[in-house]
Amino acid sequence: MKKVVDVSIPLGPVHPCWKEPARVKCETRGEKVLAAEVELGYMKKGIERIMKGRPWQEVLFLAERVCGICSVIHNMVFIEGMEAVSGIAVPDRAAYLRVIVNELDRIQSHLLANFSFCYTIEHETLAMYLLNTRERAMDCLERITGARVNKAFMIPGGVRFDLRDNDRAALLTDLDWIQNEVDRYTRMFDTGPLIATRTKGVGILTQEQARIARAVGPTARASGIAEDVRLAHPTYRKLNFAPLVRMEGDNHARIMLRFGEIFQSIGLIHRCLSDLPEGPIRGGGTCGAGETVSRGEAPRGELSYFILSDEYGRIVDIAIRTPSIMNIDACTHFMLPGVTSLADVTSVFVSADPCIACNER
Amino acid sequence: MNLLQDAKNWVRARSIHVAYVDVGSCNGCDIEVLACLAPRYDIEQYGILVHNNPREADILLVVGAMTPQWIDKLPALWAKIPAPKAAIAIGNCPISGCVYNRRETYILGPVSKYIPIAAEVPGCPPRPTEILSAVLSVAPTVFRDYEVKRP
Amino acid sequence: MGIYQEKDLRMLKYHILVSPRHDHAVRDVAGILGMGVQPLRRLLIERLDMQYLENLAGRYDQWVEHGDRKDPLDRALGRELFTRYLPLVDSSGMDLILAEARASVEAGIPASEAATRARARLAEVLRP
Repeated sequence: MKKVVDVSIPLGPVHPCWKEPARVKCETRGEKVLAAEVELGYMKKGIERIMKGRPWQEVLFLAERVCGICSVIHNMVFIEGMEAVSGIAVPDRAAYLRVIVNELDRIQSHLLANFSFCYTIEHETLAMYLLNTRERAMDCLERITGARVNKAFMIPGGVRFDLRDNDRAALLTDLDWIQNEVDRYTRMFDTGPLIATRTKGVGILTQEQARIARAVGPTARASGIAEDVRLAHPTYRKLNFAPLVRMEGDNHARIMLRFGEIFQSIGLIHRCLSDLPEGPIRGGGTCGAGETVSRGEAPRGELSYFILSDEYGRIVDIAIRTPSIMNIDACTHFMLPGVTSLADVTSVFVSADPCIACNER
Repeated sequence: MNLLQDAKNWVRARSIHVAYVDVGSCNGCDIEVLACLAPRYDIEQYGILVHNNPREADILLVVGAMTPQWIDKLPALWAKIPAPKAAIAIGNCPISGCVYNRRETYILGPVSKYIPIAAEVPGCPPRPTEILSAVLSVAPTVFRDYEVKRP
Repeated sequence: MGIYQEKDLRMLKYHILVSPRHDHAVRDVAGILGMGVQPLRRLLIERLDMQYLENLAGRYDQWVEHGDRKDPLDRALGRELFTRYLPLVDSSGMDLILAEARASVEAGIPASEAATRARARLAEVLRP
């Protein structure tokens, strides 16, 4: 890339604040960042290439392993794509259970994202509180799906496990606990004067810039773009879902929006549990040929799968567009230039909730 | 072995600094290593400090399936860690490549081709408690007689 | 010890560009420029960093939907596409080419002809 100035400060690939390897080269004048360049390739495994020509049963497992943090939504979007291709209907109860698990996954992912941010700005107390809260969400997930990370909960025509009565009771208790705790931490984050100096007005992404980079998810919604793929999802429509939007576009807005979405997800799960219809959880069906683009709202934003399958349910061609691709682009090319201190580079980068594993696949 | 050496070994096995490096995983094992930090598992009560500085580390947790970019960087990172040191492979990926080790893949595993691996924790991903117990069981065996073996 | 961190990324960048969605976008952009696919790939690899390349398809789709809506000549040349969505040329160079094209339209040359000439000019500017 063309250099603006000669001084370029590399951060990464192994960096104490970043959980994943990426290399960001910041061109600086004094402390001010003028431009940033990303070097990737540390996580390129070629999942799309491996997926081609394999039966859907194998691609299901591979799709989950595109990203370990938001594995539920990858599973869900791929399975919904296969269902759309082969005309498989999902029982109502299964559709609601999918939403419950997906929202629980969103809660734990947002808690992890906010943990990383607090850890990066060295507010370790709040970070540890959030990480501890996340463990309760992981417990709920484990009780329902039987695994902590790669769950493979959804299958064509339904889900694998039903929600048992004692799980339901435990889920309600845990959600209340999480709501109380997160409410406290949200107030701590919102009113902390030192947190405000590190977050307010830092790493601003304007609405126009967000549109150019096609930012999605909380990153875009914190910049005033009211886009959410959940609005188009039939089950979420029944639950009267409406996205949260903030206008500031800085670090503070992004983190507070994630806190807000945790409460929203808790509300959605409560609504799901009260409306949960009785009935079977597996319909059955055969995966067949077709071509579709399947979308879903991952914790980080819009995720889309282009799927082309043959009559035996094998994947002929597949392309995955993960939200992190757009968000990291928006982050490094619009938020980082203009950051007034190099110390803020890590926190701005983490505030966009980058997931390099998604980004490179 | 004299008393001072004994004391040094004893102390070493009880204050373990851990660095972790992700060489191309799906993030699943990554977040399970992170979850070890949570107050529930409380990794620090065992005298383990997780931070990502290889120059201060005793134990390197390797996560991921070895992508081409890391082939020169992982041995360089390993060389930076002062002795005594040990590497633990977390998850199936560094051991076998897991689901990524198929036709058309970019990965060039296993990790043991590039750096010596002292212990392996299989699982996709392993639970935080398993990671914790692996670190705790490797540390004493690596550091027990280091003062005597030391060149 | 040498600077071992800096290494040749061209092959890795190429791997990004050949995945299905990116390939689609590259072929479309090559069509706009009237350039071969392989020279364009080389150009992208040399001028843009890896995150731009990863997001190439996203940015291109966004331009198709929202970019250069006002002027048909801007649209035909991809004024915003090459200056903002995929920053390959600076805006002054782009404006120069566009001004020439506008002048030739006013001189009586049909718009499509002027756009074709301007595209050739743009491809000439972009060529390394």
